[in-house]
Amino acid sequence: MRTVDLIELLARDTRARPPRATAARLLTALAAGGALTLAVVVLGLHCQPLQQAARQPWFWMKAGYTGVLTVAAAVTLRRLAAPGTRLRTSPLALTLVLLAMLALGAGQLLATAPAGRLALWLGQTWKVCSPLILLLALPIYAALVVALRTLAPTRLPQTGAVAGLTAGALAATLYGLHCPEQAAAFVATWYTLGIVAAAAVGALTGRWLLRW
Amino acid sequence: MPEMAVPAQASPVEPTSDAEARLRTLMIRGLEGDSVAHLALLRTLSGHLRGYFARRLGTGTSEVEDLVQETLLAVHLKRDSYDRSLPFTPWAYAIARYKLFDHLRRRHRQVHVPLEDAGTLLAVEDTEEGAVRTDLERMLQRLPPRQRSLLEDVRLHGLSIEEAARHRGVSPVSARVMLHRTLKWLNRAWHDENR
Repeated sequence: MRTVDLIELLARDTRARPPRATAARLLTALAAGGALTLAVVVLGLHCQPLQQAARQPWFWMKAGYTGVLTVAAAVTLRRLAAPGTRLRTSPLALTLVLLAMLALGAGQLLATAPAGRLALWLGQTWKVCSPLILLLALPIYAALVVALRTLAPTRLPQTGAVAGLTAGALAATLYGLHCPEQAAAFVATWYTLGIVAAAAVGALTGRWLLRW
Repeated sequence: MPEMAVPAQASPVEPTSDAEARLRTLMIRGLEGDSVAHLALLRTLSGHLRGYFARRLGTGTSEVEDLVQETLLAVHLKRDSYDRSLPFTPWAYAIARYKLFDHLRRRHRQVHVPLEDAGTLLAVEDTEEGAVRTDLERMLQRLPPRQRSLLEDVRLHGLSIEEAARHRGVSPVSARVMLHRTLKWLNRAWHDENR
């Protein structure tokens, strides 16, 4: 087929397209994947007593960290999903959120008597925390991959990594409904590890899954 | 008074800003459903794409026209990812560069595709269409009969979608959906063929 004929054909397929489709599709994916993960948290893991937890600062420390990280990662992801869009300051914002949490955790450890540091750092659930966050991130990551494949990411490993990061951060936020750990040092380590593991899965699989 | 030194080469002229404004207007009107604007956009873009790919692969190679067609198909099918508040050229350039990179990777060639200013896309225009290697015509023969006959009405007999829909006894809406599916199918078939 000649190129002029192909162009004629393509021009027949014009209907008005909704604006801001990139953001809409990514948000839909976050809602769908997030709903599935929320169901697993509520039905499979069970929530901690939320009425009491919601009155505690540590509950909001965790939700704040993972919530802000989710937003910063999602903004970066929207820019990566549209060809030729500059990332501007969003990777910096991501890094700052991570560093702030690490600093908070390190500060708490330093302010604790040496004898109590290990117990504070490991909490009761350090062994299951990171793997659970990684597992809970998978449905969200899968939904984001489906959405990204309808868009046009051109930087595949980066897009995969940030999609994994977004999924991990949202999964960690929802996991906070279940997880009774209270220490900033715990969150800075084991939550972050789970989120970074999800980002690594995204970086490794994005190259293949996101190709178009 | 000493003569002012004239720089041997003036700062690079910006032939692209006018083209950018025109292309962006056409793109936005196309996204609003204006098929005449969309046609003009794809026509103009095809010349720029041909110039860009030819500079990278050598003029007249059959790969060039293949890439032009593949990229036009991608620009069309992925146009929802264009943010109407941003310039058009960087978006189109990123897609063209991605398609070139993907093409070279498929042939296992370790060729580096430099990241240039997006304006290089508009630097050269080549309206002389070359020969293709991957024949879309042949792929269309593999379409299910209903889709193929609708497509033939539109392509070979020059009917509008509405006329073709009436002719084939389907609603205009489903004819439109069918055409869109056909284009997506074509894109996939292309990938499978060139894997």
